[in-house]
Amino acid sequence: MFIYTREAHPGENVPSHDSFEDKLASATLLRDETGIRRDILVDDLDGTVHRAYGLMPNMTWVIAGGGRVAYKANWTSAANVEAFLARFLAARGEHPPGTTPVMYETQQAEFRYPDRKRFAQHLLRNGPRAVAEFEKARQLWAQRAAT
Amino acid sequence: MAETDRDGMAAYNYSRFDDYVAAEGDVADEAAFWTSPRAAQRAPDFTLPRLGDGADVRLSDLWRFKPLVMEFGSFT
Repeated sequence: MFIYTREAHPGENVPSHDSFEDKLASATLLRDETGIRRDILVDDLDGTVHRAYGLMPNMTWVIAGGGRVAYKANWTSAANVEAFLARFLAARGEHPPGTTPVMYETQQAEFRYPDRKRFAQHLLRNGPRAVAEFEKARQLWAQRAAT
Repeated sequence: MAETDRDGMAAYNYSRFDDYVAAEGDVADEAAFWTSPRAAQRAPDFTLPRLGDGADVRLSDLWRFKPLVMEFGSFT
């Protein structure tokens, strides 16, 4: 399931949302252009659900059956989610006789390999302004890293 | 709508990413992620409209009996 949030890099073609109708229109465009087949839920204009789960632009959460957080990642890696789910479900289902599974929590750093070309295409799709603003943001990040 | 609500909404739906980064909005977002519910804690439940048919979907109905994978995102 996919939750449509605010536009992370608004531009001339896909601007920031001023109304829920704007947001619905952008979500529809995203579905039609990228061919997302999962159900898409659209967050409200104020980002209520996005705020409750932590405001990162492309995060993935897995909620275990019953409603407890099983996994949260501040960036999405489909391979990482799939590997986690397989391990999580196996561990829950195949515990030794006479034992009860008990949840514990880990925090791990992972590596990702951004597809710069694809990202650049998406920025340009949103508009030339989105490209220029991301370049300025990169300079700001470099300044931040240097101090 | 109160003025502060409008300001908060404008800040959430920022129009310029570079200004957002200059104001350290991205730093605050990262911090919000780490103070959001932790693993093994109960996930916040909400009802959202589904794109297409507009049906109200309650998250807890989706995770009641099986795991739910939720990806958040936009065009970029």
